[in-house]
Amino acid sequence: MVDRRHPLLVAGRYLSLTAIAVVMLFPLAWMFRVGFMSPVDGLGVTALTTAGWTFQNFRDLFTQASLGWALFNSILVGGLVTIGNILFCFMVAYGLARYHTITNKVLFASVLIVLMIPMHIVTIPLYLLCLKTGLYDTYWVLILPWLVNPIGIFLVKQYVESIPPSMEEAARVDGAGELTVLFRVVMPLCRPALAVLAIQVFFTNWNSFLFPFILTSRESLRTLPVALALYQGHQAVDWPHLMAGSTVAVVPILIVFLFMQRQIVSGITAGAVKQ
Amino acid sequence: MRSSRSVDLSLTSPWTVTLLLFWAFPVAYSLLIGFTDYRLLIEGYRWVGWDNYRSLFRDPAFLTALENTFIFVLGTIPVTTVLALGMALLVNRQFRGRSFFRSAFFLPSITSMVVIALIFTNLFSRGGYIAFLAEMAGFSPPVHGFLYDSRTALYAIMGMDVWMSLGYFMLIFLAGLKSIPDELYEAAEIAGASPMRTFWSVTLPLLRPVAVFVVVINSIKSFQVFVEIFVMTRGKFDTATGVYFVYEQGLTTAFRMGYASAAAYILFVIIGVFSVLQFLVLRRRTALW
Repeated sequence: MVDRRHPLLVAGRYLSLTAIAVVMLFPLAWMFRVGFMSPVDGLGVTALTTAGWTFQNFRDLFTQASLGWALFNSILVGGLVTIGNILFCFMVAYGLARYHTITNKVLFASVLIVLMIPMHIVTIPLYLLCLKTGLYDTYWVLILPWLVNPIGIFLVKQYVESIPPSMEEAARVDGAGELTVLFRVVMPLCRPALAVLAIQVFFTNWNSFLFPFILTSRESLRTLPVALALYQGHQAVDWPHLMAGSTVAVVPILIVFLFMQRQIVSGITAGAVKQ
Repeated sequence: MRSSRSVDLSLTSPWTVTLLLFWAFPVAYSLLIGFTDYRLLIEGYRWVGWDNYRSLFRDPAFLTALENTFIFVLGTIPVTTVLALGMALLVNRQFRGRSFFRSAFFLPSITSMVVIALIFTNLFSRGGYIAFLAEMAGFSPPVHGFLYDSRTALYAIMGMDVWMSLGYFMLIFLAGLKSIPDELYEAAEIAGASPMRTFWSVTLPLLRPVAVFVVVINSIKSFQVFVEIFVMTRGKFDTATGVYFVYEQGLTTAFRMGYASAAAYILFVIIGVFSVLQFLVLRRRTALW
């Protein structure tokens, strides 16, 4: 449908769209701008015109502050958790989709229940568990609990169910083992769903704050959100450096977003409309 | 099939392990220690029955936190829902530049909460942009900035929450709009219905399930608001919410884990009851429309 209405209405539409776009984009543009500001307060309206442009903030963050470590941690943890989720969510989803046992019915119900459990209820016990098992303040705690997630299982299970089992049966008749069937036959067919899953998991992990914050204390284990949140804390805030760090945290996500918008959008709306 | 049972069990084992270790155990354990006076740094603990729950409902800090949580949920959800629907309607039709506007509106939703909270701490500061805009509009902003004043801090954070949630819920509404069959609109046009009439009689009723989803998901999310509070005010200036209270009691200085777990369970129950109520109320009204 192309808009064939009165030119004034069309103008009104574009005017309101532009106004909303300014409101939505300005804070992010401001972050970007302050990140490149030479040392000033980085606050007021006048700074926009008077402050110069410099890379110094970024240089400082990587040499003096440990932002390099935080970036490394975020990439490492995000990468491993994403790979884990692709593998494990797929395995579990395939199991649940193809083997209709009572155990699996119970397990699938548990997936749906966990989806509805508020995160805050597990914070304290998880903290204690990690403390008692020695996982606290190690890389393990940033990775192990998050290797498989209910939304991912749900998403991939829906997809596997849409694939006819005849391919797998044909492969088995040809003498293929279960592993071959799983990883050579079914997994490639699930690639679209797994791409959606991968992006969703990576984004969530990259932006995650609560658990990395609670379950670690060493500075060398901080991920980007934790490092940024704890970089503040003093009275006089050093905005140019803080916004430069924020820019480092946002740019990778932005790049992925620009290239893979379709997958991101379908991941987000997958669960919503089927209700 | 040979040994399909063991194949099946090993396929699902990653979830079984995660479920038991990181979900079932914690949920049960926090219920249990909610009935004790367990503290991290003190040896031994005793069973105190409902004492934690009783004292929580007499604890002014907890009651304030609950009040703040309800203000947050009830204040943000209607605004977010209506604005997100409006934005979805604006970008639903085909027009030049549509995908740009959609992406622009959605951008905040993929940005880290910590980063957004930091940006808005800047914008809400004394001498920051929002104070400047308020002055331009003829208001006098709080002397020390919006986040350093008990009268404005919570509302400032709520405003930010609306801003950052809009794009996500707009997308959900867009998906809902797409699922409405074109024939219905054609029928409405043939029947001579005005655009307003079509919106009230076709679009809105058919969006109901999506709207229920938006409201329920948004309230579950808002009941648990924590990161913004931690980054922007550390719970000061009357902004502590339920989950912030749990964090402060259970995981900082005093480590009162029994007490905090009881508080966490009260919130859990409130969220559960609230979701079910919303679901029932919003579903029921379908019959009236």
